[in-house]
Amino acid sequence: MAAVTGVSLTTPKVLALESPKKVQSIKFSLLNNPWKRCTEFGRSGMYVRPVAAAPEGLSEKLAESVKSAEEACSENATSGECVAAWDEVEELSAEASHARDKKKESDPLETYCKENPETDECRTYDN
Amino acid sequence: MAVSTVYTVLSLNSACSISKPNKTHLGFNQKQLVFFKKTTTITTTRRATTVITCSAGDTVVIGLAADSGCGKSTFMRRLTSVFGGAAEPPKGGNPDSNTLISDTTTVICLDDYHSLDRTGRKEKGVTALDPRANNFDLMYEQVKAIKNGVAVEKPIYNHVTGLIDPPELIKPPKIFVIEGLHPMYDARVRELLDFSIYLDISNEVKFAWKIQRDMAERGHSLESIKASIEARKPDFDAYIDPQKQYADAVIEVLPTQLIPDDNEGKVLRVRLIMKEGVKYFNPVYLFDEGSTISWIPCGRKLTCSYPGIKFSYGPETYFGHEVSVLEMDGQFDRLDELIYVESHLSNISTKFYGEVTQQMLKHADFPGSNNGTGLFQTIVGLKIRDLYEQIVASKTGAPLEATKA
Repeated sequence: MAAVTGVSLTTPKVLALESPKKVQSIKFSLLNNPWKRCTEFGRSGMYVRPVAAAPEGLSEKLAESVKSAEEACSENATSGECVAAWDEVEELSAEASHARDKKKESDPLETYCKENPETDECRTYDN
Repeated sequence: MAVSTVYTVLSLNSACSISKPNKTHLGFNQKQLVFFKKTTTITTTRRATTVITCSAGDTVVIGLAADSGCGKSTFMRRLTSVFGGAAEPPKGGNPDSNTLISDTTTVICLDDYHSLDRTGRKEKGVTALDPRANNFDLMYEQVKAIKNGVAVEKPIYNHVTGLIDPPELIKPPKIFVIEGLHPMYDARVRELLDFSIYLDISNEVKFAWKIQRDMAERGHSLESIKASIEARKPDFDAYIDPQKQYADAVIEVLPTQLIPDDNEGKVLRVRLIMKEGVKYFNPVYLFDEGSTISWIPCGRKLTCSYPGIKFSYGPETYFGHEVSVLEMDGQFDRLDELIYVESHLSNISTKFYGEVTQQMLKHADFPGSNNGTGLFQTIVGLKIRDLYEQIVASKTGAPLEATKA
């Protein structure tokens, strides 16, 4: 299951594909990121820290958090758990909207030219 | 121009340099030599009298309090654009870093000083708004260090995973902006701020904006958005809202008064509340400083489309302080409306005629580019640039005085 790929930690964020995320092995991440808490891996093996956070993963997280917030609040609407759960929903919504904005902006030529402004395609002349 | 600089071990922390006073003060040149240097080379000084000039205080610290998350927000992009250059996340670092760096400015997100990560907060039942979830001691230490010209290793709060990631290096820039929920909450951090801004979004507008933002998401419904806002409201009112009394400038966003019973939240009434008596900050005014003006620019010289534009300006009191309030209700439809308005505002600290319009046009795709939010954010950006230049001028002026004496 844990297929080892040559995915290095410096893979640029532009490569936001589904497969690299799922294929990244758990063991790799633990070795390379020893500061990661065990709780992250305990929950669901697939949600290891992906190099690029695909909005699909974020949307699922968001939907889950909304459900859990509604559950927590059905018991006691003013408890700390309820409030903290809705705060998490808010945080994830903000992240999702930022991710959507980022996705919208990725014009391949623009991203290339940001890194390499001296190449022929990217030169600009002001006069 | 022989100036010998002595780096002593004692003064390493504040990166001071000791120079001979017989030459004219080199100003920026000298300070650039001193940055980040931790060398212990000692050269002998021939003179007995020395002038100690520190690069400490070259960094101007700005605080921005705003509710919805941090990082790539529109205000920051406008602000950094006024100083020139685009702000980018640090290259080669953590891709989920919240920091933005440009040539002159560095913007950090105060979420990075969370003491509890997402699971920790859930366990304890506290929101991110609660001061118990934030490490104010670390925030104070690091902002003080940056202000004194020392680089720091700042933790990163990863918004995607909800965990606290290993730290990144932040070098002291010319302008250091701290953005987040609690820039003015802690009194010690408040003292370090050279200028502070609070973005006050009214409840109706906040609700309308959040609906626009979240309705596209599968997990959300109108009820869940409403519940989320309601649940966070008590903590927000208790911890975040009181910060507006400390801010030097408050940008208040309210629903428009031009359209009766408007609930779309597209046309906005924006008030720029500027504290009087703040050092290096001269409030923007309309026609006559200190008087009360109500102005509708649309008429014979300028034709506007519905609902038009309405300005007002006047002195008021805000939480016991004397303030000047400049208010704009409505939106811009055309370039000439914008330039017409700009030509009638005073004290906007532009370097050339039409600079505000140019900045607004540069970012015409940003939200708020056609109403008071974009206009006032741009103007505040220009005032901050003016503040920075005044501070720097006063710092280079002072050592010159010392050498003359």
